[in-house]
Amino acid sequence: MGIIDTQGLTKRYGQVTALEGLDLSIGEGVTGLVGANGAGKSTLIKILLGLIAATQGTAQVLGHDIRAEGQRIRSVVGYMPEHDCLPPDVRAIDFVVHMARMSGLPPTAARERAADVLRHVGLAEERYRLMGGYSTGMKQRAKLAQALAHDPQLVFLDEPTNGLDPAARDDMLALVSKIGRDFGISVLVTSHLLGELERVSDHVVVLDGGHLLRSSATTEFTSDTGLLLIEVLGEGDAQTAMGERLAAQGIPCRPRGPLIEINAPGRTDLHDLVRDTAVDVGVGLVRLAADHRRIEDVFREEAGHGAAH
Amino acid sequence: MALPTEAPRPGGVIHDIGYRPYTGPRLDTDAAARSLFVTGLLNAYGIGRSGRAKGLPMTLLALMVVPAAIMVAVMVTLRLTEPLLNYGTYPVTLMLIIVIFVAAQAPVLFSRDLRSGAISLYLARPLSSTAYALVRWASLFVAILLFIALPVIVLYVGALTAEADIAEQSRDFFAAVVGIVLLSAVLATLSGLVASHTRRRGLAVGVTIIALLVSTGVVTAVQAITAEAGNETAGLLAGLFSPFSLVDGVQVELLGGQSSFQVPPDTTGWGLLYLAVSLALVAGGLWLLVRYYRKQAGR
Repeated sequence: MGIIDTQGLTKRYGQVTALEGLDLSIGEGVTGLVGANGAGKSTLIKILLGLIAATQGTAQVLGHDIRAEGQRIRSVVGYMPEHDCLPPDVRAIDFVVHMARMSGLPPTAARERAADVLRHVGLAEERYRLMGGYSTGMKQRAKLAQALAHDPQLVFLDEPTNGLDPAARDDMLALVSKIGRDFGISVLVTSHLLGELERVSDHVVVLDGGHLLRSSATTEFTSDTGLLLIEVLGEGDAQTAMGERLAAQGIPCRPRGPLIEINAPGRTDLHDLVRDTAVDVGVGLVRLAADHRRIEDVFREEAGHGAAH
Repeated sequence: MALPTEAPRPGGVIHDIGYRPYTGPRLDTDAAARSLFVTGLLNAYGIGRSGRAKGLPMTLLALMVVPAAIMVAVMVTLRLTEPLLNYGTYPVTLMLIIVIFVAAQAPVLFSRDLRSGAISLYLARPLSSTAYALVRWASLFVAILLFIALPVIVLYVGALTAEADIAEQSRDFFAAVVGIVLLSAVLATLSGLVASHTRRRGLAVGVTIIALLVSTGVVTAVQAITAEAGNETAGLLAGLFSPFSLVDGVQVELLGGQSSFQVPPDTTGWGLLYLAVSLALVAGGLWLLVRYYRKQAGR
């Protein structure tokens, strides 16, 4: 049994279907939950927390049924919501202590753990400041700290990188990865940015309009496509010259942006051939790399057909 | 002799001990509820919040207690054997300060979590939304109770030290305290309902102050007019529409206290009606609060 299992999970709001017959099995480690805005990511998390009731279907979180054992689930799970959830007139340390106590930790343990998790998320000195004065990045860290305060077995992180600048985004993703690998806490992390989760998650679940589009290991998404990408630099139209010469040698290739895509799987001498050809044509070979798929490509291919948006 | 495997380094060394899982005990929801209650009670007086948040409640508390302290001082100096002000009428005399405290501090417990979004963190924890609403109410109730009862306790202790009749003073005091408990419950319910539904602090403060002051003013006016016209029943019915006259009525008729209003209930039947309306108000208000917070879970 996995960390999270759902069977035919469905949620309807009147005419609107937020989730439709979702069958999932999510294991340990970091799982990315990907989908466009409104795909049903937050709804799924709220159902798993027992905050809203499913219209149909069942689900188990850490082996506990969401209908019968919501309280048990909420005591061993951490939740970082997408929206603001920090009172501005309280210090981060006081707030995290309070939240740890709300999860059932005794007073002394709550204080120790609050200081610990705030240090882990990178709010060491700032923890004595009122949270109203925090930047977006610091707020996201404080939100993460309260989700970890009671040492949960699983955390739901809803859009943790929302509103962050690129550097803070990288920090947050590194932190998410650390929680899953070093802290030993399973993570379900959502994002509407498809690309960023492939860096941190072991497994990716793609939702589209409430339907399960795909659920598989990240490595499957980002598998080798068998194509080779090269980029050349030189005088004049180096790309065309290089492409024509390769084609003349019977190598199937076509331009892709500034790159040349070579589709010749199985040819062992391909790298040497490309190098020699570049020397012959008199261009500089600046890139020679296997082409990997990206989650975004999968999403575009599979969602592109059915979805009408 | 065995050499130490690791020589102690001068000045010590800070180890990065990494993440430590928690293996200690986990308490039940009762402990969480108690913690929420205490935190809420302290927050109502600004403790555990920003320095600015302490200003208003502490100032109001001082304004509330200082007159009682002065009266006690006068009493002791002039060797009076009766307090200058009856215990039961003290809250009505200082009604304005009580109303400001209730209106300003109810949003701390009932609007703040909704506005900041922290409610979703509470609801994602073991405590149920029903328990959350009831504990929040209990915090506000006790905060108001302490606020109103403290000066009355000061008066009582002062009366005892001034060698007043202990039996008589104690009877009056306990009657007043029961009335104050009921008044606090009614005020906590009404202001909690307003604060949770308005969310915006300024709006909640305004609505609560206007509702409490205007209703009491209207009751006083209606009772004056109906007394003039000799229609006592209309005056007694009007008394049901302000928390202050309502609880005053219970205190006067059922507990033998002194009234601050023109037309207090004069039969046990009216007293019981006043009591029933007070209790129904609290019960109904709590039910609405619980229902409201249960809906918040789905948001």
